[in-house]
Amino acid sequence: MNKTMLGYVPNESPIYAVHPFVKLFFLLVVSLFPMFIVAPEWNALLMVVVLILMWLSKVDIKILRIYVPVAISMGSIILISYVIFSGNHPEYHLLVQLGVIKIYWERIRDAIVVYFRILPMIVTMVFFLSTSRERDVIVAMRSIKAPFVVTYVFAMALRSAGMVLEDFQIVRQAEQARGFDTTGKPLPYKIRKYVMYMIPLFALSLRRSEEFTNALVARGYAFTGEASKVKRADYILTHYSFKPHDVVLTIMIGISFIALLVLKYGFGYFGLDTSLLTIWASRVIG
Amino acid sequence: MSNVIIEVKNYSWQYINTSEPALRNINLTIAEGDFIGVIGPNGSGKTTLAYSLDGLIPGQYNGIKQGEVFVFGKEVEQYAKGDLQRSVGVVFSDPEAQFTAMTVEDELVFGMENLGMSIPEIRERLEWVTDLVNLKPLLMKPPYEISGGQKQRVALAAVLAMTPKIMILDEPTSMLDPVSRKRVFEVLEKLKKEHRNTIIVIEHSLENLIPLADRMVLLSNGELILEDETPRFFQNMPLLLEKSVYPPGALLFFYELMVAGYSNHQLPLTLDEAEKKLKDLIKNRTLQGEQQ
Repeated sequence: MNKTMLGYVPNESPIYAVHPFVKLFFLLVVSLFPMFIVAPEWNALLMVVVLILMWLSKVDIKILRIYVPVAISMGSIILISYVIFSGNHPEYHLLVQLGVIKIYWERIRDAIVVYFRILPMIVTMVFFLSTSRERDVIVAMRSIKAPFVVTYVFAMALRSAGMVLEDFQIVRQAEQARGFDTTGKPLPYKIRKYVMYMIPLFALSLRRSEEFTNALVARGYAFTGEASKVKRADYILTHYSFKPHDVVLTIMIGISFIALLVLKYGFGYFGLDTSLLTIWASRVIG
Repeated sequence: MSNVIIEVKNYSWQYINTSEPALRNINLTIAEGDFIGVIGPNGSGKTTLAYSLDGLIPGQYNGIKQGEVFVFGKEVEQYAKGDLQRSVGVVFSDPEAQFTAMTVEDELVFGMENLGMSIPEIRERLEWVTDLVNLKPLLMKPPYEISGGQKQRVALAAVLAMTPKIMILDEPTSMLDPVSRKRVFEVLEKLKKEHRNTIIVIEHSLENLIPLADRMVLLSNGELILEDETPRFFQNMPLLLEKSVYPPGALLFFYELMVAGYSNHQLPLTLDEAEKKLKDLIKNRTLQGEQQ
């Protein structure tokens, strides 16, 4: 098993044969797909495709369970904001009126459309994080010749996120050990007392920044001056090579995106007017 | 003294917003190839001295500096940014604080990349350092997910890989169990014998440090209290004890014997020396008893 940003992937997973750039390219391009797809069934299909890719990559699909509550609450928020707070639309088809609240079919439809646009983006991100390590992101960026400073700052941002979470746990445990614990207390109390965690966490972050700067200087790194002009060899990249199948995959991802645009703008696919799901639903509602 | 490479002259440093100087009027000379042990209680200025020799002070800190610190004949403030650190490597007491990369391997090569080394050079040195510090199985792991002892070995290896002429180790074994601690000192012994590096070790664990150190420095309350060759340094036992430095048990035992008049002033520095001395002592006492 190899640890990734979101879990573990077995050593025999075929995903390891894929260059990190291809994975990042997949994330960036496929995440754009739902922006151009309005019909919910096509977005649902995209989600299924990504899930199949996860299964083929031997990612433990069970990790998706932790996102179910998020998906449900996100769906509820979207539905409430679209349906309950939709305002007055005489041009829409009114389904029911509950006091001042008017519920229109078009607003429910729009909520479903938005929800099904977000879901594949999330699944694509989960797929990427489940199959990549922090190093993969850096390698992907460096392989397209992104400046070292940019990739390095990005890497440190990734690392810092983990460090802040770790520090938060330490602060919380230290405060629990001294009798301060918000577990089981009402939410307003928790919010009020949150500052008890935030102040030490902030102080720790400042100290970490200082230590980190010292470490960079001590290792001969300089942002300015003669030392910064040294031509750096990129040793990490020597472990990775862009193989023919990576070229094929990159081209396939690119072509599928172009095909999507052609189908949408050339032939009118993926629109709401041609959406079988919404056509069927509007017929059912009458 | 042969080829002096570090010279600290009347040096004092006070951090901004503090009422007392962290270091006061330090005078110290270190020659090429020396192995120096720096000891002293917490807050005595050991880390400040280490940072001053590496240029982190005053480069990265605000404060008041008096006196001069020369490294390779040049005042540390006259070095261009990043230049001094190519010759002086520091291993910090908190290894996690010095990690700058996502895997152990990236961590080890980061410094070498900064020095502008070529890929074959980096590969060669990486192999050397991973063998030396026994890190091969950890190369692909994130440095913040390994054990405390492994972290300290990675921190040491990351600096070793840059092969600086001067190495400063600030409590390099503070998080280690006795076996790992011994392993770190074995690496330092190798460096001393085979590579003739100038090594400055700040350490509380004296039993490992004493056999390697050519000279010892005692800091207390920001002042350099004592500096001498290791055997002579430990002749000043009352002063050391007064400054809360507790030497290894064998050394202390012979000091007690010396005070009681059973042993001479030559205190054994290692366990082997102590064993030999004790045997001689028993033998002499037995002979004396037989003669009486």
